[in-house]
Amino acid sequence: MSAASAIYGIVVRDLVRTTRQTSRLLGGLARPFMWLLLVGTGYNAIARLEGGLSYQAYIYPGIIVMAALFGGMLTAIATVYDREFGMLRLMLASPAGTVAVLAGRALAATLVGAAQGAVVLLFAPLVLPISSREFVAALGALVLAAGMSGMLGLMVAARLRSVENFAGVINVVLFPLLFVSGALYPTTGMPPALRALARVNPVTYAVDLMRQAVGQRGEFGTVMDVAALLAAALIAFGVAAVLFDPEQRFIRARPRPLSP
Amino acid sequence: MSGSPAAIECSGLGRDYGKVRALDTLDLTVARGALVGLLGPNGAGKTTAMLLAGTLLAPSRGWARIFGHDVARERRAVRRRLGLLFQDTSVDPLLTVEENLLFAGRLAGLGGRLARAAVADAIERAGLRDRARQPGRALSGGWRRLVDIARATLHYPDLLILDEPTVGLDPEHRERVWTLLNRQRRELGTTVLFSTHYLTEAEPADRVVLLSRGRVVADDVPDALRSSLGDEIAEIEGPGAERLARAIRGLGAARTVLRIGGGFRVGLTGPREPVIELAGSAPGIDQLTLRRPSLEDVYFAKTQDGAGYP
Repeated sequence: MSAASAIYGIVVRDLVRTTRQTSRLLGGLARPFMWLLLVGTGYNAIARLEGGLSYQAYIYPGIIVMAALFGGMLTAIATVYDREFGMLRLMLASPAGTVAVLAGRALAATLVGAAQGAVVLLFAPLVLPISSREFVAALGALVLAAGMSGMLGLMVAARLRSVENFAGVINVVLFPLLFVSGALYPTTGMPPALRALARVNPVTYAVDLMRQAVGQRGEFGTVMDVAALLAAALIAFGVAAVLFDPEQRFIRARPRPLSP
Repeated sequence: MSGSPAAIECSGLGRDYGKVRALDTLDLTVARGALVGLLGPNGAGKTTAMLLAGTLLAPSRGWARIFGHDVARERRAVRRRLGLLFQDTSVDPLLTVEENLLFAGRLAGLGGRLARAAVADAIERAGLRDRARQPGRALSGGWRRLVDIARATLHYPDLLILDEPTVGLDPEHRERVWTLLNRQRRELGTTVLFSTHYLTEAEPADRVVLLSRGRVVADDVPDALRSSLGDEIAEIEGPGAERLARAIRGLGAARTVLRIGGGFRVGLTGPREPVIELAGSAPGIDQLTLRRPSLEDVYFAKTQDGAGYP
């Protein structure tokens, strides 16, 4: 009961905070459309893709994932604000425990990421033909992508000590994950080293799954994509759980103290 | 009641940060319902002791129990009984006071109507009704601290661990905080362990524990601590202060002698007249004041190196 109520409390708080940070929210929603307009339109003229697909239509699944990735990860990484302003200690001191606290944050990040991605998905019919069945499949892919992003964000936040590192995270973590994922260009044409990186990049599988959901050709198959995303999410969550509570790990590693 | 475990019990409790011994050893038993002040200079180990009791740090040695539950092994059971207040405020600037408290209630495991009722009660008790809809960022430091206290007491904990609850507050807000805490103790029998640098705040405590360099250097009721220094304190100032302090000790009338700044504080025992007579004839004495010992005297006597005995 205490874990469920703590998770609910954390989710509600994060959603309220998200809606009150108007500039961050609008920025998060505008970012994918700017990429579609500025990058997509520019490359439309020079990119030649099989099946006569426009470049904007090709990157649209990747841009949906990008919205979920940024929304989910940045919401989770906001944990670093909580650490700096004392809210994290308050949460970690609750009877619910570290795993419940992280689960709450992950769930909130998933909801925010999925909502931001869903806004982009809503506009998909303007660029690529999409059936209602594909739309539902894309929503499923979106939730998986946002969930994985949220848990990756928690893992990154576990080692961040200051909000000043926030911009660095976007440049060093988010953009490389996006660029080496097949969101903007196919991984099949990449040099071997980058292609190997793309293979271990969980965002690659989110883009691939989204691509298949909207009826484009994928590289790995749905089962592989879903499995890779679930595995990445679980590993990231496990690592975050250990890193967030070094004291607990410490206690477990030590022999039990003697008490009467 | 006699068979029920103490609110806090710890033995040989200590914590190291790498090679730094933040808390060397702490042996402490706090009875249920007691008000206990933890005093000591910065770096004495007060916060570390409180974080250990609050399950946020793992002990490097020793053990601690809260209402019979081990802080290392039964953290969840301990946390259910605890209300914690950290040195820094924990108020979300984007949420209103009411939302902050509701969030804290849910973290404490209160759900639905129970959480809302507890929040409404906490807002009333803390006198926050007019500020309930204000966002955290609009509150002054004093009101934020009251929100912190309302948050820590929201779920009616049996033990409050308060790390410098009134730090940085003006006298009016300090008064508000203590009124709220005293009411909590009176009505619910809550045990309170608090740290402070305002020594007068520790005067009404049932017990005062003085820490210095990670060790307990004094632990008793305030009256006993004060009288351990002597019946009266003679504050002596002037170039002849040290000579007079030595002379008083020579008379056998000094229980403690402490150098403070340019003067001396001598804890007197026995009749004061011989001391006054001696001071009257001593050269180089600018001022001699006789007064009752205070916790501040105890603090200086127990925490200063060498205590300045001439």
